[in-house]
Amino acid sequence: MTVLPAGDGAESTTRAAAPPVARRSSAAAWWRTNTSRRLAFGYLLLAPAALYVALLVGVPFFFSLYLALSDANVGDPVATFVGLENFRAAWEMDTFWAALRNSVVFLVVAAVFKSLLGTSLAFLLLQNFKGKKLVRGLVVIPFTLPISVSVLSWKWMYDSQFSVINWGLHTAGLIGAYGSESWPIWLGQPHLALIACIGVNVWRSFPFSAIVLLAGFTSVPLEVLDAARVDGCSFFQRFRHVVTPMIFPILIIGFLFDTVFTLSDLSVVYLLTQGGPGSATQILPVLAYQIGIQAGSLGRGAAIALMLVPLLFPALFLMLRNLKRRDW
Amino acid sequence: MTTVAVPRTHRQKEIRRHLLLYAGMTPFLFIAVFPIYWMAITAFKQEADLYRMGNIPFWFNLPPTLKNFETLFYQTNYGYWIVNTLTISAWVALITLLTAVPAGYALARLRLPGAENIGIAIFMTYLVPGIILFLPLSRVVASLGLQDSWWALVVVYPTFTIPFCTWLMMGFFKTVPMEMEEAARVDGCGQLGALVRVVLPVSLPGVLTSVIFAFTLSMQDFLYGLAFVAPGDQKPVPVGVPTELIRGDVFFWGSIMAAALLVGLPVAILYNFFLDKFIQGITGGVGK
Repeated sequence: MTVLPAGDGAESTTRAAAPPVARRSSAAAWWRTNTSRRLAFGYLLLAPAALYVALLVGVPFFFSLYLALSDANVGDPVATFVGLENFRAAWEMDTFWAALRNSVVFLVVAAVFKSLLGTSLAFLLLQNFKGKKLVRGLVVIPFTLPISVSVLSWKWMYDSQFSVINWGLHTAGLIGAYGSESWPIWLGQPHLALIACIGVNVWRSFPFSAIVLLAGFTSVPLEVLDAARVDGCSFFQRFRHVVTPMIFPILIIGFLFDTVFTLSDLSVVYLLTQGGPGSATQILPVLAYQIGIQAGSLGRGAAIALMLVPLLFPALFLMLRNLKRRDW
Repeated sequence: MTTVAVPRTHRQKEIRRHLLLYAGMTPFLFIAVFPIYWMAITAFKQEADLYRMGNIPFWFNLPPTLKNFETLFYQTNYGYWIVNTLTISAWVALITLLTAVPAGYALARLRLPGAENIGIAIFMTYLVPGIILFLPLSRVVASLGLQDSWWALVVVYPTFTIPFCTWLMMGFFKTVPMEMEEAARVDGCGQLGALVRVVLPVSLPGVLTSVIFAFTLSMQDFLYGLAFVAPGDQKPVPVGVPTELIRGDVFFWGSIMAAALLVGLPVAILYNFFLDKFIQGITGGVGK
């Protein structure tokens, strides 16, 4: 250990030197010091969690790199090294490019709508009004409901014939009757299917955006805002120069969290369309699952899943920088 | 007609303000709650009532029924799924408790060299998505002989509950005054004694929060359950309902919605109460 802080080192040497008995064996003496006991106790408490995470997240992560470079599959436990073959194969798949494009479109479009809806909702929830707690509790339900469960409700609402959305549109006179040209089949038409999937993601996450923003807003001390007002700042100036810089760290974390979730979530698309029709809603997580588990080609599936890393990496990097900067 | 504004009383102003706010909230509430309302009403509708597009579908056109729930319990594995879900979550909560609480304490209180970086590293593992880990983990699960059993999920779910709860507990332990622990040490408690007798009792709300999160986060998973557990009677609810109740192109919407509602709603409500802690946890604002 070369990184022991000076304070601790000094403490342990002075303590070790103090009792004359301890001189006999320096190792035993060191062991008897408070610092060493504290450190031993500390690392002992830390070990189970650290080992669990290292063995079941760290090791599998590197194992997935290995899988991606091998021809491992479910039936055959002996894998041979094939170099970048899996990546080359993915590169030549049309579905892969469709999945990559859809993943990016999905992420960007969903983020725009989540920010718009989330910001407006946050401003409303910032006000004081009667029944606010109830309203807040109801409006966050989409985020707290297990996702596979809520997607089922949407699948029923997007039903080709008995869609309640279509019933509403039809009753309002916006679309024709079932079977007519203007009756949308939400999960059956390429563009509509992608919109439908994005819609569920937005529905699930906009309350999250709102709550994160709200947490940011309420973390700005009122005195600071009052001070800015006294100094003659307008509402927009206060917002631009006082509120935004103060809540930025929280915003970025919320945003990154949502990016990671949206990019890596398979349940919405898997349960609604399985990537179809054709590959209109195919995204990387679903493709990785279909190839890695359903087709049993572990190596190729791992390669496709790892293609998410370049998309995720900037998000994780920003997050790490943000956490490191924080004062502890 | 005079259009000069009548001077308003404070009360009138308040009412006006409230009406405006409620009007603004209505679309959000509608978007957020309608799918759940639709789920609930479908669960209690008779089969024939679901497919009558002539009537207004938002209320019962035929008398409500409990038949969908009966089907669920008598003709599917739903009963098993509920037991599986609860057992898995209980095990995950226990494992998380035994690992994350000590780790959070060590990182927050014992001035370990590198504690800050270790803490960040553990938290970052929460952000490694399952979609990157599930293929290698399927090998791990197979080599442990746990494939096709819900025990696989007991092993895998702590990979996301431990990082999150460790982070959460670090925040909680930082708020316990150092003096309390020192006083306990002066009174003759050992390192462990101070933790067990003084720090843990005052951190009980934090420990409870961690347990609730381990419980609810376990129920949010879909991918691992889908990938690791194939037999129909071994699945947890969030996996069993979408994979077993949909057979080919035949959808038993009434039962599916009943199944979703029965487990989804309690989880949503429980999570709701702890949502602020969750947001605080991930934005790192805990203990400040």
